Amino acid sequence: MGANVVTIPAGDSWQLPSRGRTGMISLIVAESAIFTIFVAAYVFYIGKSPDGPTPKQILHVPIFATICLLSSSLTMHAAADSLRRGKTAAFRLLWILTLLLGLIFIISTAREWHRLIYGQGFTIETNLFGTTYYSLVGLHASHVIAGLAGLTIVAILGVLGKVRSEHSERCDILALYWHFVDAVWIVVFSVVYVIGR
Amino acid sequence: MSSTRDCDPTAPAGRRFTLPSPTLWPGVLALGFALAAAGLLSSKLLSLGGLALGVIGCIGWFFQVLPKEKHRAVEGPAEPAVIAVSRRRVSRIEVEGVHRARLPLEIYPISAGIKGGLAGAVAMAAAAMLYGAVAHRSVWYPINLLGAVVYAQTQVSTRQISAFHIELLLVATVLHITTSILVGLLYGAILPMLPRRPILVGGLFAPLAWTGLLYSVLDIIDPLLNQKISWPWFLASQVAFGLVAGLVVVRQARVPTWQYPLALRAGVETPGVMRETGRENSPS
Amino acid sequence: MASESIALTVHRSPLQVVYEWMATVDHKKIGLMYIVYALLFLVIMGIEAILMRIQLAHSNSTFLSPQVFNRLFTMHGTTGVFFVAMPILFGFANYLVPLMIGARDMAFPRLNAFSFWMTAFGGLLLYASFFAGKGFSQGGIAPDVGWFAYAPLTAPAFSPGHSTDYWTLSLLIAGVGSIGGAVNFIATIISMRCRGMTLSRMPLMAWMSLVMSSLVLVTISPLTAAQLMLMVDRYMGGHFFDTTAGGSVVIWIHFFWIFGHPEVYVLIIPCFGFISEIVPVFSRKAMFGYPAMVAASVGIGFVSLGVWAHHMFTVGMPSYGNAFFVLTTMVVAVPTGIKIFNWLATMWGGKIVFATPMIFCIGFLFQFLIAGLTGIMLATAPFDWQLANSYFVVAHFHYVIVGGILFSIFAAFYYWYPKITGRMLSEMLGKWHFWIFLIGFHLTFDFMHVPGLLGMPRRIYTYEAGRGWETWNMISSIGVIFQAAGILIFVYNMIQSYFRGTIAGNDPWDAWTLEWSTTSPPPEYDFATLPVVRSRRPLWDLKHPDDPDWKYE
Repeated sequence: MGANVVTIPAGDSWQLPSRGRTGMISLIVAESAIFTIFVAAYVFYIGKSPDGPTPKQILHVPIFATICLLSSSLTMHAAADSLRRGKTAAFRLLWILTLLLGLIFIISTAREWHRLIYGQGFTIETNLFGTTYYSLVGLHASHVIAGLAGLTIVAILGVLGKVRSEHSERCDILALYWHFVDAVWIVVFSVVYVIGR
Repeated sequence: MSSTRDCDPTAPAGRRFTLPSPTLWPGVLALGFALAAAGLLSSKLLSLGGLALGVIGCIGWFFQVLPKEKHRAVEGPAEPAVIAVSRRRVSRIEVEGVHRARLPLEIYPISAGIKGGLAGAVAMAAAAMLYGAVAHRSVWYPINLLGAVVYAQTQVSTRQISAFHIELLLVATVLHITTSILVGLLYGAILPMLPRRPILVGGLFAPLAWTGLLYSVLDIIDPLLNQKISWPWFLASQVAFGLVAGLVVVRQARVPTWQYPLALRAGVETPGVMRETGRENSPS
Repeated sequence: MASESIALTVHRSPLQVVYEWMATVDHKKIGLMYIVYALLFLVIMGIEAILMRIQLAHSNSTFLSPQVFNRLFTMHGTTGVFFVAMPILFGFANYLVPLMIGARDMAFPRLNAFSFWMTAFGGLLLYASFFAGKGFSQGGIAPDVGWFAYAPLTAPAFSPGHSTDYWTLSLLIAGVGSIGGAVNFIATIISMRCRGMTLSRMPLMAWMSLVMSSLVLVTISPLTAAQLMLMVDRYMGGHFFDTTAGGSVVIWIHFFWIFGHPEVYVLIIPCFGFISEIVPVFSRKAMFGYPAMVAASVGIGFVSLGVWAHHMFTVGMPSYGNAFFVLTTMVVAVPTGIKIFNWLATMWGGKIVFATPMIFCIGFLFQFLIAGLTGIMLATAPFDWQLANSYFVVAHFHYVIVGGILFSIFAAFYYWYPKITGRMLSEMLGKWHFWIFLIGFHLTFDFMHVPGLLGMPRRIYTYEAGRGWETWNMISSIGVIFQAAGILIFVYNMIQSYFRGTIAGNDPWDAWTLEWSTTSPPPEYDFATLPVVRSRRPLWDLKHPDDPDWKYE
């Protein structure tokens, strides 16, 4: 070996960022770029539909669902925190609460769409507003569903008692994704229900 | 999950390495996606099959990484590869105690380039205005032409070009001085690197090449301007610039190149140099 | 637990070998699969180019029908960008980056396999259109809307059947693969470096892969978004690009070029990495201006995000828009110039070895410079109004892609082939390849500028006699013969050297980065002992312990 070994003075710590977190942040950057394009298209097309209905006529502001989704970020944070400290019971409770809040959001979106499609006859084909509305909100909803799938798997494993504090890093990474989905909703909400309405 | 654990320099050779075990599931998932897409082009059944395959792929993948990532062991060699160099001779440029020199050893200071550029600017302007006075009886003629490169509205007669225009004078002055200083700086940077006859290159070859380039393309870029330009005089003023700027630059005193990295010069702590060499080796 | 030890001498059946490659999660095998896959598509796109050049060699040609010609240029462009250039660069990065940063594998080996298979199936799906473009039972028709597929050409009314959907779906699938690959590269480079490999000591190839991957994240995603919108329009009756319902076709053009222009940098930046690794080794000098090189690459990455609308001067923009995009585009010349000067300064004063990898690099330097200069010409809006969508533009970007990207990829092949296979490529055949391909390249693409200046538009399937275009087109077409011959020599060289090339040894070029410290080809685990580095040239430090680099960095 001899000449082939380079020594670095002892005591040098060599700590790199975790690959899971780096990967998730990269994925979030990519997803943000997708959402940016959809939001840009939505904003560009606000008020450009030649015929109705307009957002003001048919959209109801989903305040309750929004509160649920945003507060799920808090419970998610608390859940990840308690797992890190080894309080698995509290983790289980808070995680399932997060899951339920997310479910409430997605169910209320589904009900809203049901009302629009079957009640008002307003579909993606109706006009330009329909096209942009369903694609943007649908893109976000599909992300919520993907997040819920992940949450459900962890919840099942948690109920079976398989999630322990050594898994907290993986749960943190999933939490990062969930926070991203919530943050995107703030943008989508303001664009669709505040600026565009 | 940082790679700290893997980066163990003291690990013995000849050990068994753990590598992720091969798996088909990522490929199955990808095939599922592709079939789902192909289904959109043909029949819904294919899409459903693709999605089902995707779900199977996901489940398979899931059990590859959870609860623990699947590994397999691979036998390593007894001895690591030996790194040796075939050529032992390395030629270096030794400069007064500095073991590895940064080239070129001497450069002109920035001020030399600026001075050269300004001197060249005067020479070039003189040549051009001489041309204006001789050919069109107006020293304003070349100035107006230069200004018109960026600031001109319509086709104008030769008489108008010969008249005095304050705005064209201002535009032309700014253009002329800026370009001259930039070219002067370029001369200052490049001349010390040329092996021989810097004045010949800077004073004759560069103006000739530049004039040739402009002569061949100006007819396409700006045919109007092209009609007004006398190329022999153009070349003469370029050469005047090149010779004067080059002569002024080479007459300035050279300064030695800084031989140490910027971080060291700035007194920043550089981990490689400062700590590990011990003070006695570090260039001071 | 699947735990088995592999004895290398055991003979395996072909089926086992196939399984081994399909199930592999090893970054080197996946990298090789990317490269081989891309080379196959390179040959396919080359054949498409040859057919088009035969058609254009003389006026009023009837060799191809207009419809076939449209399909050929669409497939040639799409294949070239998505299924040749990107996979080949991803392949090299996959193979080299973990070796260069002293890691045993990529950060996510299974995601790596997934990304490759997505790219592979995407390409297969695209080419399935030749057989089933109208639907499986009605026969084939390939996409014919051009590689940027401007709306409203893609609207259901103008593109009936499924050919455009093949284009959309295959790019969506390949795009997911690219994003997965990019995420993986970033996580690998940030989180898997060996001890002592700080960011400021990382080989430039690794830096360029990091910049390239970051760009992929923010460029392929907009393409994916735009493709999703196109799908909504075509499958669900949406109106994103439907002008009859208030939609805009210009917004597609914006979205496409928001992807399309940075994509060019996604392709060229890893090539900068190749050149920055090869030029110092064959100049026998350390890289000149390493920090400036890194800063320039990151700078190009950022600037490239704000230049897209220089593809749209003829679409029409307000004058501030024109001015803004002219200026940002010209700004790109600054970091690019820094790079070219850094490479020249690395060569300057060095003991240059004119081996095949190096002469390809030198060819790259000249050609990339010329490509950059015509780029600056086209960045000037009035000049672009005159020449947009002419053969001048075609010549310009082929100068970048063939003269720049392909030449540096050839350089990379000659440089790293010994590491990958353990045998050297033949130098004599390499020189033949270089000179014949160089002649062919210049015949085709130098002379292609001229018909563009004379007003020949791109994408026309034929032209009338008497416009002064014939001779130039004939010369361009003749050049293709030389290029094809060069490629044949290259392929022959690779196959022949695989079996009969001289044994390379670990470090045939006396190089300085970590991949040369392990055996050729590297073992599955890459390094018997994970390296520890203290400078940008760890192998120099090992070979010259009396005069290591880390005293000077």
